Amino acid sequence: MSSSESPQAEYVTLVSGDGFEFIIPRSTACVSGTIRRMLDTSSKFSEALSGRCVFENLSGVVLEKVCEYFCYNEKNKDQTNVPDMDIPPELCLELLMAADYLDT
Amino acid sequence: MAMRARHKIRAPRRGLVSTGTDRFESDWKAVESSLKKIHTKDASDLSFEQLYRNSYNIVLVQRGNELYERTKQLEREWLCEEVRKRVVAGISSSLLLVQEVVDAQDQAVERRVAGERFLSVIKEAWEDHQLCMKMITDVLMYMDRAIASDPRKVPIYPATMALFRDHVLRSPIRSDSQTTVDDVLKSTILFMIKLERSGHMIDRALIRHCIYMLEGLYETEMEEESSKLYLTSFEPDFLETSTTFYQTEGKRLLEMADAATFCISALDRIAEERERCLYTLSHLSEAKIKDVLDNELLRKNLFEVINLEGTGVRVMLDNDRLDTLGKLYALSARVDAKKTHLTAAVQKRIVEMGHEINGASIALAQAPAPVKSADANAAEKKEKERPVNQLTTSAIKWVDDILLLKKKFDNIWQRSFQSDQVLQTAITASFSEFINSTARSSEFLSLFFDENLKKGIKGKTESEVDALLDSGITLLRYVKDKDLFEAYYKKHLSRRLLMKRSISMDAERQMILKMKLEVGNQFTQRLEAMFRDMTISEDLTNSYKQHIQRMGDPDAKRIDLDINVLTSTMWPMEIMSNTRDGRVELPCIFPREVETIKHSFEKFYLNKHSGRKLSWQPSMGTADIRATFQRSNGKTQRHELNVSTYAMIILLLFNDVPTGESLTFEEIQARTRIPDNDLVRNLQSLAVAPKTRVLKKDPMSKDVKPTDKFFFNNEFQSPFMKVRIGVVSGGANKLESQDQRKDTEKKMNDERGASIEAAVVRIMKQRKTLVHSNLISEVLGQLSARFVPDVNMVKRRIESLIDREYLERIAEDPPTYGYVA
Repeated sequence: MSSSESPQAEYVTLVSGDGFEFIIPRSTACVSGTIRRMLDTSSKFSEALSGRCVFENLSGVVLEKVCEYFCYNEKNKDQTNVPDMDIPPELCLELLMAADYLDT
Repeated sequence: MAMRARHKIRAPRRGLVSTGTDRFESDWKAVESSLKKIHTKDASDLSFEQLYRNSYNIVLVQRGNELYERTKQLEREWLCEEVRKRVVAGISSSLLLVQEVVDAQDQAVERRVAGERFLSVIKEAWEDHQLCMKMITDVLMYMDRAIASDPRKVPIYPATMALFRDHVLRSPIRSDSQTTVDDVLKSTILFMIKLERSGHMIDRALIRHCIYMLEGLYETEMEEESSKLYLTSFEPDFLETSTTFYQTEGKRLLEMADAATFCISALDRIAEERERCLYTLSHLSEAKIKDVLDNELLRKNLFEVINLEGTGVRVMLDNDRLDTLGKLYALSARVDAKKTHLTAAVQKRIVEMGHEINGASIALAQAPAPVKSADANAAEKKEKERPVNQLTTSAIKWVDDILLLKKKFDNIWQRSFQSDQVLQTAITASFSEFINSTARSSEFLSLFFDENLKKGIKGKTESEVDALLDSGITLLRYVKDKDLFEAYYKKHLSRRLLMKRSISMDAERQMILKMKLEVGNQFTQRLEAMFRDMTISEDLTNSYKQHIQRMGDPDAKRIDLDINVLTSTMWPMEIMSNTRDGRVELPCIFPREVETIKHSFEKFYLNKHSGRKLSWQPSMGTADIRATFQRSNGKTQRHELNVSTYAMIILLLFNDVPTGESLTFEEIQARTRIPDNDLVRNLQSLAVAPKTRVLKKDPMSKDVKPTDKFFFNNEFQSPFMKVRIGVVSGGANKLESQDQRKDTEKKMNDERGASIEAAVVRIMKQRKTLVHSNLISEVLGQLSARFVPDVNMVKRRIESLIDREYLERIAEDPPTYGYVA
C-alpha cells in the first residue's frame, strides 16, 4: 500500500483532451461519481496510483467549466436558495454530455 | 446536486461515434483484455479513463446489452476455469474422507490443518473475486446505468456474485461427485466449531471471513435480506449440529457433574456461543443459537438439575450457596418466566424445613414424655410443672427457628434470586403453608411476643426492639387464623397488664400499632380497649384514694386498694367469667378487712357510674402483706410478703388460728370458697415450694390432698425482707396443656360461628336473595382477613339461620336463599 500513499495526496490533477491541466482538491473532484471510482485506491488503476486523470473526450473549456461546477457544488453542498451558476449557452450541450459521462 | 437530474437526458449522438460494428469489436477487445488483466491483478498500468471511455462508447452505440452479456460470459469462464480449479485443489482428501468416517483423534488434527488450508483458499478466492468485481463494476458503471432501465436485468455486480455462487460454491468438487464446494465448506466450518466447543483454539478470523462471504451472497439476484446464503444454507446446519451437540452435552453434564458444575458449564456455554456469534459467525444467529441452548441445554435438563440428589437446589439452599443459586436462577429465568421448577424446589424445601421445625418443637415439647403412671394424680402434678416450661421454651424456639429460616431465605432471595416477584410469592406461600400446618402457630407466636415483652427486650435499644417486633409481625402475616392469635394475644396481654409484667408500655403500644398496620383496625380494637381500661383504672384508683382521704377515715390500718376495672367484653373470657365447667361458682369469701373496703369501693364506683355491675375477680390480683413470725426463741421476725390475692385470703385465715393449730384443706376451702384448682396451686406455693414455705403441711408431701393439714410456719426463714411468693404455674404465660387447648378451640369455634352468622346476615341483608355458592364465597372473602372458615361450618350456620327464620330457601336449583326481614 506504500504506492497508494501519493494518490492519497490532497490534490489531484485533471487533464483535458487538448492538454490543459486542472489541479483541484481530491474531495472536490470526487463530486463526480466517475472520478471518485477512478481514484478509488482499493482498485489499483493507474489513475488511482498517480492521482492524474486524463479525459480524452473533454476539451479544456468544458473541463474548466466542469471544475468550476465541482467547486460550486462543493461550496453550496448543504444550502438551499443558491444562485444559479452562470453557464454560457454555447457550452450547454457539451456540458450536458460531460455531466452524463462523469456521472455528476 | 441540481444537475443530478439531468443525466436522464440522452446526449445527442456525435457524428464520430456512429462507426458501428468495427468500433464495437475493437472496444470490446480492449475491454476484454483489460478485464483479464484485472483478474490477474495486473491493473496498475491500466487507465480507468480509457476503459471507462470504451464501455461508454459501446453503450452509446446501443450495444450495452451485448457488453453486459459478454462480460458475464467472460466472468463465467474465468470462474469455471481458474477459480474453481484453485478451490477444488484446496480440498484435500482428508476433508472428504472424514465426512463419512466417524472422527478419530489423530484424524482430527490432519483434518483441521486441511480445513484451514481449504478455508484460506476459499477466502482468497472470494476476496479476489470481490475486489475484481468491484473494479469491473466501477469501470462498467456507465453500462450499469444504462441497463438500470431494464427491469429484467440486475446490475453487473450482483450478477457476477451469483455467478460465483453457482460456478464456484455450488459446483461439484469432482465431476462424478454430488458433493459441492459449499458442502465441504459447511462441514469444515462446523468441524472447526466442534473443535472449539471441545476446547481447542481455532482460527476465528479465517472462519469469520468465510462467513462474511456467505453473508455477502444471496439465493436470488434480487438480494433480499432473508435470502442470504448464510441464512438459507449454513445456519440451519449450524443450528442442527448445535442442537445435537447440546443434547449430548446436557446428558453428559447431568451424568458426570453436580448441579453447581452444570450451572457453571451452562453459563459458560451460553457466553461462549454468544461470543462465537459475535466473533466467529454472524450476529444474525445469536438469538437462534440462544434458543437452541435454552431448549436443549436448559429447558430439558433444568428440572433434573434442580432436583439432583445430593447437589440440587436442596443442598444449595441448605448450605447457602448463594452464587450457585444465583446462577441457577439466571438459567431458570432464561427459559421460564415463572421459573416453575426452581420455585417448586424452593417451596418444597421450605415446607420441609418448616415441618422439621414444627417437628422439632413438638419433639422438644414432648421430650419429658408424660409417663402414664398408675397413680395418675401424683404424676400429673409433677408433669404439669415441668413440661409446661418446656413447652414455652419450645414455642419460643419454634418462633426463633422460623425467623432464622425466614432470614435465610430472605437473604437468598435478595442475593441470588434478584428479588424476583414470583419467587417472593412462592416463598411467602410456603412459609404460610407450613406455619399454618401446625395448629399451635398462633399460640406459639403470641408466646414469643409475651416472652419478649416480659424479658426479651430488657436492655435493648429502641431500634432493636423495633426489629424484633417487626420480625414477629412478619410471621403474623403468614398466620391464617388471626382470630386465634388475637385470642391468645389477648390472654397473654391481660396477664401482662394485670400482673404488671410488661417491661415497657411503649413497646406494648408499639406492638399494637404494628398489628393495626398489619391486620387492620378491627383486629386491635379490643386490645386497645384493654389498654384504655388500664389507664381509666389508674385514674379511678387515684380518685378513690382521694375520696378516702376526704372521708377522713381514721383507720391507719386501712388497706391500700389498687383496682383495675375491666370491661367484660373486651377481656379474655377465662379471666372474666364466674362460671367454670358450666356451673356458676359462688364468689369467694373475702376476709373481713377486705370485705369492708370492697364494699366501700363498690359504693364509690356505683356512685360515679350508676347502672353498672362490678364483679370481683381475685384470680388475677396480688397483695402485699406484712407477716410477723414468732420464733420459738421469743424473737419476732417480720417479712413483707407479696402474694396472690387468693394466697392473701388463705394467710389471713391463719390470723385467727392459734399457734400450733391447723386448718385442713377442706376447712380452708369451706371458709374461702376459692375454686379447687386455684386453692391447690396457692397452697402448693405456700406450703410446698422450698423457699417460700410460709405454711407447714402435714403430711409433708409434694401434692395437696383434701385431707392435708396446714400450720402457720413460724420458723419461716428468708434472707430478704421482701419475699415474693409466686403461684405455681398460674401466673406466668405458658403454653396451654391439652385440656386448655381444647377449651380454647371450643371457644374459638363458638366465636367463629358467631362471626360467620354475622357475616351471612350482613351479606343477605344487603343482597336480599343470593345463590348458595355465591353466598359461601362472599362469606369466605369477608372473613379471610381474620381466619379461614370451614365451609361445613358455614353451611351449618346457614342451616341454623334458616331454622331461626333469619333466612329462607327460595329456590332449589340452584339453591338460593332469601333474607327474612
